[in-house]
Amino acid sequence: MSTGERRTMVQARDVVKFYGQFKALDRVSLTVYEGEKVVIIGPSGSGKSTLLRSINRLENIDGGSMVVNGMDLYDPKTDLTKVREEVGMVFQSFNLFPHRTVLENLTMAQTVVRRRPKKEATEKARYLLEKVGLSEKADAYPGKLSGGQQQRVAIARSLAMDPKLMLFDEPTSALDPEMIGEVLDVMKDLAHEGMTMVVVTHEMGFAREVADKVIFMDHGAVVEDGTPEHFFTNPTHERAKLFLSQIL
Amino acid sequence: MTQKPHTIEVGDGAAIPLKSDKGLFTAWRLAFVGALATLTWLAFTRPDPYMKIITFVPDGILVTFKVTVGAILLALIIGLITGLGRISSNRFINGLASLYVEVIRGIPLLVQIFYIYYALGRIIKVPDILSAIIAMAVCYGAYMGEVFRAGIQSIPKGQAEAALSLGMTRSQTMWHVILPQAFRVVLPPVGNEFIALLKDSSLVSILAVADLLRRGREFASESFTYFETYTVIALIYLILTLFFSKIIGIMEERINVDR
Ligand SMILES: Nc1ncnc2c1ncn2[C@@H]1O[C@H](COP(=O)(O)OP(=O)(O)O)[C@@H](O)[C@H]1O
Ligand SMILES: [Mg+2]
Repeated sequence: MSTGERRTMVQARDVVKFYGQFKALDRVSLTVYEGEKVVIIGPSGSGKSTLLRSINRLENIDGGSMVVNGMDLYDPKTDLTKVREEVGMVFQSFNLFPHRTVLENLTMAQTVVRRRPKKEATEKARYLLEKVGLSEKADAYPGKLSGGQQQRVAIARSLAMDPKLMLFDEPTSALDPEMIGEVLDVMKDLAHEGMTMVVVTHEMGFAREVADKVIFMDHGAVVEDGTPEHFFTNPTHERAKLFLSQIL
Repeated sequence: MTQKPHTIEVGDGAAIPLKSDKGLFTAWRLAFVGALATLTWLAFTRPDPYMKIITFVPDGILVTFKVTVGAILLALIIGLITGLGRISSNRFINGLASLYVEVIRGIPLLVQIFYIYYALGRIIKVPDILSAIIAMAVCYGAYMGEVFRAGIQSIPKGQAEAALSLGMTRSQTMWHVILPQAFRVVLPPVGNEFIALLKDSSLVSILAVADLLRRGREFASESFTYFETYTVIALIYLILTLFFSKIIGIMEERINVDR
């Protein structure tokens, strides 16, 4: 990646998160620069989703600070919706709106949040559907689509808001194996276009190919943080080694 | 991944026909055709008093219908507000909505109707039928509130999360994403409440509201044909509830066809 004056998209400092007595995040710090692709890896329950969801404040943190796109999420003056407009999120379970057609899924937030005219929103939606290869599904309801198709629609829905940052929480984990590729392809295209991305995934091939930085989490803490080469060839921590030996 | 349709249980109201009841002799058909046939047969074989009763009460059917439709519409509005209040994180609003539900559920409907009718009468002069509608709606609004609360809470959390992630406010999320889905979920219980309300509307006959039952009472006390009159009244209520439960069943099927 080029150097110079790169904007900081995410600045998490010493983030602590409790669920009751349980410490889900233990002084986690993370910096994501504009255009950077960060992949978060770790065993189930290690706090990956919690960290990701605290970036758009779907989860409140109990300590530390979180600054996203220049806005402090815990400054009372910050309008959370303004932060979220610029931060797309893709979920493991897609979460498409089942009562609306695919096209309407893509236009809803554009018209409601961005206040774009219907025509402009529709054009944008059609363009993005073509981009993810689902033009012919515009008028279908999400329930009629395969998992892979639903997830591609979900990505397009987020992109319709012209986000500056995209968060992915295990986007392929709920998919049948034969559909994982089509979703990863869309994500790779997005990466090549320069989107800033934070991706929680178990797809090591994707991490190797796309990531600028790999973060390994365990028990709510970041235990490894470096380039993919570093992470996959000689991880320093025992837990990362163990995890890799199991998954590869 | 397809989402399973959500269902919520509500105990009262008439039996809404099951989709699987497709045979010729369903309970619904037997009851509906039977009631109609009995009424017709009585009217023609013994026009006095049956034909007289049947021509005397239709005014009352109209009033019963007005009270039922008016009350259900008002109850839907009260119910929606109450349901939203019950899930509100604002302690005061939440407490107020909960209090309303608890109080209403703890007092017999008949007592409430008397109470609201006379309480209203002290404050403002409204037509009797409007008092009756308000009294029924205040009561049913509490039940409807619980139906809406359950309906809203049955929508998976991921739906709100997706909407919020797109930059929608809480109220935009509720209006564009949660409520449209919740409406579909609450349709069967609301249909049930409608039928229950249709039957309970007979309670307003104790007020000066000339509904179906009241018209029957008027006729009976003048002609001393108590048994015959209440036979007709019962049959008409039965026909009405069966008719509407069928309509509701059809509406539900329609709504579940696509998507
Ligand atoms: N809403 C919640 N309430 C209580 N505990 C939770 C909640 N969400 C997550 N946790 C717990 O926090 C830990 C981290 O969860 P999560 O961030 O989802 O892990 P991961 O995404 O790495 O699998 C887990 O032990 C999980 O059980
Ligand atoms: Mg997770």
